[in-house]
Amino acid sequence: MKDYLLTLFLALRSEFFISIRSFSSKLILLAPSALILLRYCLVKLSESGEQIRDSLSGSPSFEDAIASNAWGYYVDGLGTGITMLGLLLVGMAAYSFSYERDTGSLRHLVIRRFSRTQLIVAKLLHLHILALFSFIFLMLTAYIVSGVFWEFAAVAEDGFELISEQEIRQEIFLGLQLALIPIPAAIAFGLFISVSSISATQAVTTALGISIAIDVFKSMLGDYALYIYASFLPSLLDQSYLQDVSRLVRGYSDVLIDERAQQLNMLVPIPSMLIFLVAALFLVRKRSL
Amino acid sequence: MDSSQIDVALSVSKLNKSYGDFKVIRDLELQVTRGSIHGLVGLNGSGKTTTLECILGLKEFNSGNVSVLGYSPADLHRASGKLVAIFDTSSLPPNVSLRHCLQHASLLCENKVRTPQEVEAMLGLEAFSKFKIKHLSLGNKRRASIAHALLGQPEIILLDEPFNGLDAGGVDDVLSLITRLNQEEGTSFLLSSHQLPYLEQICSHIAVLHKGAIALSDSVPNLLAGNIETVLIRSEDRASLLNALKIIDEVQYLKTDEEGYHHISMANKSSSELNQQLTARNIEVSELILQRASLASMFRAITSEGSE
Repeated sequence: MKDYLLTLFLALRSEFFISIRSFSSKLILLAPSALILLRYCLVKLSESGEQIRDSLSGSPSFEDAIASNAWGYYVDGLGTGITMLGLLLVGMAAYSFSYERDTGSLRHLVIRRFSRTQLIVAKLLHLHILALFSFIFLMLTAYIVSGVFWEFAAVAEDGFELISEQEIRQEIFLGLQLALIPIPAAIAFGLFISVSSISATQAVTTALGISIAIDVFKSMLGDYALYIYASFLPSLLDQSYLQDVSRLVRGYSDVLIDERAQQLNMLVPIPSMLIFLVAALFLVRKRSL
Repeated sequence: MDSSQIDVALSVSKLNKSYGDFKVIRDLELQVTRGSIHGLVGLNGSGKTTTLECILGLKEFNSGNVSVLGYSPADLHRASGKLVAIFDTSSLPPNVSLRHCLQHASLLCENKVRTPQEVEAMLGLEAFSKFKIKHLSLGNKRRASIAHALLGQPEIILLDEPFNGLDAGGVDDVLSLITRLNQEEGTSFLLSSHQLPYLEQICSHIAVLHKGAIALSDSVPNLLAGNIETVLIRSEDRASLLNALKIIDEVQYLKTDEEGYHHISMANKSSSELNQQLTARNIEVSELILQRASLASMFRAITSEGSE
């Protein structure tokens, strides 16, 4: 067991050795943060433009103090960043194994040092670590930039505090927890597609195609969508709880908290991840390299 | 494990591999003894690469037993670098520099005996250490693959088409490197190639793979010794010569060519013995030319069998 873990650790080091010199890892680390930074700048520019237009025309500026609360922008930024991170991770997971098989570099690894199982587990861990760093970077960027552009405050109306900052933080924490739980399943899904595809191009297009198709068609699935991990990831057609949090911290009172959806959000992704992982580990033993 | 098994670095028995109904490998038998340089020669499509891929655990096979240094193909990683392979394509990560690629290989190596700088110098790649693998020429990619294999101290190296993409100088360098590693470090080699002239120069053993089966396999001296030699004789006294050849044992007259050479096949007899026996019968031999059967002629004979 000790030898197995030491070799697994070496496989992880080997993954990082190549990864820190590759463009795709940098993309995962930086792209979500860069995207929300761009988004914040555009929103701020647009708001500033409206304010200038209103002051020049002499009409009173329509600025809803609640709507421009930095917490709202912070959650929006996180939602956008996690959407991109989720898609990038699926794509990168799909690319990781299949690309190395295409180039043949995987051959040296399995002949010289690592079992196929160790390789898959190392790739899974590597992508989780990348996702973790990317998310930390995303959170910091979102917090700092939204704090610079807007002001963090409790949700208040007519001097009456509707939601305290403490409650906002708790809701954001819950929203993030529910949004991040499906990420391991997304990574395992990408790896499963990577192992089962015949080329890197096929793997990436299949993994992203299926992810986007689920996103687009999930409303047609009705309640069945709640049994698919991807329904809980912030996405292009976002139905995640983070979307609700965004409305909540802006003072909207019509946010419907679906207890059953939250429970399934907690329960569905981890078994999904395990199913994809077991399938990938089974398939990888049979694949020609 | 008996002594015969200890001496065997690689053993393949009754290996069969099919793609659908098409049998690529049929009951393949192959043994590579420790310290030998074993050549696996065959025409394009004869099954050389598939054989290596089955041995290396990269492809599943239908039936048979394969053992490399006592490990099954699925467990080769347990050998921790005692076995390395060099493929017909570079099979190295294309987007990293040569130096980083070698450092990565060094990370995988349990028993490092050379640094990346040293293997670059061995293969004449110092000038390219900052080049990405994808930017190297075909020949330098091949050198890089060899450098990649030499960071540790492998007991056996499997090479698939090692001479592809190399110029004449490059081929000589690789041949001398293989010979040096074999002699100085006792490294065993299994070289798969369709270029018999190169294999002939360095291999201690040759196996001819034809249509998925080993048609011939033995040490090079045995392969050559087991073949009947042809002698070309010219004599002014043609009638006496032909009469004498009928009497002398283990000699068979074949034909007389347009230039007047009499072709004679001999088994278990040297050309000097034949000359002595003819001289003893007062037959003056003006020319005697020994034509030893070459590996190339044997290879041609085997590979042309199916096409005729």
